Amino acid sequence: MIPSTVSQQQQRNLLYLLLLALACLGSLVLALTSGSIEISLSDLWQVITTDQTSLQSTVVHELRLPRALSALIVGAQLALAGCLMQVLLRNPLADPYVLGVSGGAAVGALFSIMMGLGSFAMSANAFIGAMVNLLLVFGLAHSQGSWSPTRLLLTGVVTAAGWGAVISFMLSISQDHQLTGMVFWLMGDLSRAQLPGQHSLVFIICLLLSWALARPLNLMLRGEMQAKALGVSVYPLQIGLYLLASLLTASAVTQAGSIGFLGLVVPHILRLSLGTDHRLLLPASALAGGCLLLLADTLARTLIAPQQLPVGVITAFIGVPVFLWVLQKSNRGLV
Amino acid sequence: MQFFSQRQRLSFAPFALFIATLLLWLVLAVSTGYAAPISVIDDRQNTVTLPQPAQRIISLAPSSTELIYSAGAGDKLVAAVSFSNYPEAAKKLPLVGSYNQFDLERVLAYQPDLVISWYSGNQPEAIEQLEKLGIAVYRTETRYLEQLPETLIKIGQLAGTETVAQQEADRFKQTLQHLKQTYSTQAKVRVFYQVWNQPLITINQENLISQVIEVCGGQNVFAELESIAPKIDVEAVLKANPDAIVASGMDEQRPEWLNDWKAWPSLKAVQDQQLHFIPPDHIQRQTVRVLLGAERLCQQLDQTRQLNTQSQRKPEQQAKPKQQAKHESHKDDALS
Repeated sequence: MIPSTVSQQQQRNLLYLLLLALACLGSLVLALTSGSIEISLSDLWQVITTDQTSLQSTVVHELRLPRALSALIVGAQLALAGCLMQVLLRNPLADPYVLGVSGGAAVGALFSIMMGLGSFAMSANAFIGAMVNLLLVFGLAHSQGSWSPTRLLLTGVVTAAGWGAVISFMLSISQDHQLTGMVFWLMGDLSRAQLPGQHSLVFIICLLLSWALARPLNLMLRGEMQAKALGVSVYPLQIGLYLLASLLTASAVTQAGSIGFLGLVVPHILRLSLGTDHRLLLPASALAGGCLLLLADTLARTLIAPQQLPVGVITAFIGVPVFLWVLQKSNRGLV
Repeated sequence: MQFFSQRQRLSFAPFALFIATLLLWLVLAVSTGYAAPISVIDDRQNTVTLPQPAQRIISLAPSSTELIYSAGAGDKLVAAVSFSNYPEAAKKLPLVGSYNQFDLERVLAYQPDLVISWYSGNQPEAIEQLEKLGIAVYRTETRYLEQLPETLIKIGQLAGTETVAQQEADRFKQTLQHLKQTYSTQAKVRVFYQVWNQPLITINQENLISQVIEVCGGQNVFAELESIAPKIDVEAVLKANPDAIVASGMDEQRPEWLNDWKAWPSLKAVQDQQLHFIPPDHIQRQTVRVLLGAERLCQQLDQTRQLNTQSQRKPEQQAKPKQQAKHESHKDDALS
């Protein structure tokens, strides 16, 4: 009996992941076929299969594909980071930005905009800012030797507030034309996205590592003491989680600015609807996050085209009702 | 005194008082330049009244500073805000902050009798505060090019420099009229004006720049969009396929990102090499210098127009390539 139920569950999990992957593929096709320049499904097929230099081909290869792929990767990174952060901090309000990673990155990026540096320098500085934050928070929370999730959370939140002050200061002393770019960066914007080469590598490595930690993560949910009793070395696990989540967030923020909300809500929706087994939850979060961000970004650039909306607005518009609906439904189920 | 009776003396008292008042009034009037109160309506339809021409003016926007100098009242400016960089003399003015965040106390410390503000740039609360404190405020807000000479004259009236202001206003009107007559009726050139690259921002028809484009016989391809500075994407530009792309960037130098369009050889503007640059201070500031930008833009768009008409003729020539070849060989024969 027992082996068959396990395999049944595995099959069910596999089915969920397959469905989510199909949804991602569907959103990708939708993203590639919608925009100001008309490209139908058959056009898309031609553009992909044949090697041609038409306008449609350039639009797909140079504009839509890089943007769509980075939306997928960024969404996946944020959702995965949010999922890890919620386990690490044992706090349902935790999101990828709660420990100030986006604040550090934002200061780096805004500084580059102020100095009029190019987009490469901007990404590099954003990443450096995120890493500075990672070390700062880790060092401060770690220094007294009594590391705990609460201590980490407090240190992170206060550091984030500090970054916030620096950001406000920078915004108040910059010129008009810089201000627009800065505000768009802060709201999250995929329009400057490049093909996510090295970022997808970061994502895949982090996904595999966190997947390998799925069992101890499941045990952590029972509480630190229980996990310890069951043989989990809690402290290294926490440090590992912190590093993984921060690295994922840093990579995401570097590509697209701080797109809010996604990392908070996607893991919750999945936890409520699929259960808390991290072997399923982690890859499912990544897929769902990527899919949601890609859909949101496609809407953001086509809803009132040619005018563009910030993608964060759309993620919230889609995510909030879905989350509330799932929450409502699961409450009924529980009662 | 003995010549006056008691009765006469009594009736003289009010008369003397009247004379004294008259004299006092006369002395005051002479010392303040025979001033009757000056009253004008500002760009936001508020009445601005001064008891006498302004002597101490503060400008709260770089554009206002330029307008004040153009109106001949530059020597009455006591302070301005940062980026007031034109004319050269404006750079030496003491600063009270930036246009969006200025130091209210420092403004008061200069004891201005007139503040020239910028309606859509300054914080309205701060301006109202100044008015509550009894300082006369003129709000500038240029929605149409034709408004600029009127604003000049009004500032001139408030500062008592109408003559200079009137001359400058006339010069502006004449130049604008000349540009309109020369260019606005010619064949339309489709223009994409790029304010910034990341995010990609353009302008709609409400923007003053769009009006400058029209003066030059151009047509803003994004004129119909809703917001005044809409954010768009590259695809929208590819679809619109403008005849010319005009950009300003952030300083006197041609922005590097203007050349990014060369990655799109299908664009007509790229094929014809019609990627133009205009210094932002010459077209984005609502001042007299907008004419400099307009003159430059008109020349640039005229170049585009010439290319357009040439390429319209080309197809006819290409239709008979063999004949042309024959012609040329004949020419060669003739030459040899």
